[in-house]
Amino acid sequence: MSIVGQCIAAFVFGSIVGFLVQRSRFCNTSALRDAILFKSYRNTKALLVTMMILTVGFTTFMTFGDGHPLHFDVGINQVIGLFLFGIGMVLAGACTVSTWVKAGEGNVGAIWALLFTFIGMFLFSLVWSYSYWPPASDTMNGEVNLAGLQFGFANAATLQEQTGIPAIFFGLIQTAVLYAIYRVIIRKEQRAEQQRSVKQSTAASTSL
Amino acid sequence: MEIFKKTYDPVISLAIISVLNIFLFLVVGAWTVGGGETMMTGLIAQFFMGDELARIPFWNLVFKPDAGYWKIYISLGMLFGAIVGAVLSKEFYWRVPKHLSEWVMITIGGLLMGIGIRLAFVCNVSTFFGLTPQMNLGGYLSVVGIIAGAWVGSMIYKKVLES
Repeated sequence: MSIVGQCIAAFVFGSIVGFLVQRSRFCNTSALRDAILFKSYRNTKALLVTMMILTVGFTTFMTFGDGHPLHFDVGINQVIGLFLFGIGMVLAGACTVSTWVKAGEGNVGAIWALLFTFIGMFLFSLVWSYSYWPPASDTMNGEVNLAGLQFGFANAATLQEQTGIPAIFFGLIQTAVLYAIYRVIIRKEQRAEQQRSVKQSTAASTSL
Repeated sequence: MEIFKKTYDPVISLAIISVLNIFLFLVVGAWTVGGGETMMTGLIAQFFMGDELARIPFWNLVFKPDAGYWKIYISLGMLFGAIVGAVLSKEFYWRVPKHLSEWVMITIGGLLMGIGIRLAFVCNVSTFFGLTPQMNLGGYLSVVGIIAGAWVGSMIYKKVLES
């Protein structure tokens, strides 16, 4: 696909995502924060359903070698980086998606968060230019690199290559795990609902 | 119109996004934001610094500023789609954080997000909507990191709310 075609496809996709996220008030940050702080799971459930659909979709196509999976070596830097990111997104009250969506709603705080995300990236580019860690993609070869704290590269396609079992099989196992988590949340919600109705009925009977 | 005023169900909205994301995965690659934001940072820096920027190794070796990078247009699209959604539902108005504590938290939060994305090479979107569904090892490492981070962040957030 030509570069212009790629950019147009990305823009159309982004526009639909922006519209749907704005109208549904989905937020990745609240999917995690609300579950931790308020035991409320509206966004967490949506996130899990998405991950189930995507796991089946991606691994199906990866079984046949289609699609463009992300390809780079991973390591300790993912854990540390996303740990910092996790703290940051709760403090800022927005993740990478909701900063753009909230900016579109006229939220000056979100625009401020975006500005400082850019500044943070620039600051880290200076640090990287000194430390050269995490390793640049040019030096990645998919192998374990202990000096760089890198574990190499592995995904559903490499699993298929190594075991000879179709990628979709592993995808279905992951989907089952995600579904099990989803069921736990639904049960938690039902239990909370029952407790609330019990409380209400006792409150009603004492007031009579 | 009524359809633009009501709040959509997040599960249905996200299911539609998932199907589109699978299409995008087949065409160019799965939904991601961090890479596009980095490229925007590079382009903005290049605007101010000109050729000086190429002297910083990162912008020469890892991310050469390039306006034709498709990931940039996902972010611009999200901004555009959100403006359309907000205007149609009459939800667009300027919202300014009132307290100093909010400004401080947003500033620190923004910086941590930027540093975190560059350190990990991934953002929360690639974690949940790209790497993990592709069963990439990096996805699982990232999920561990982001849940631990969100937990610590939530505890700080709670402290700030209570004080």
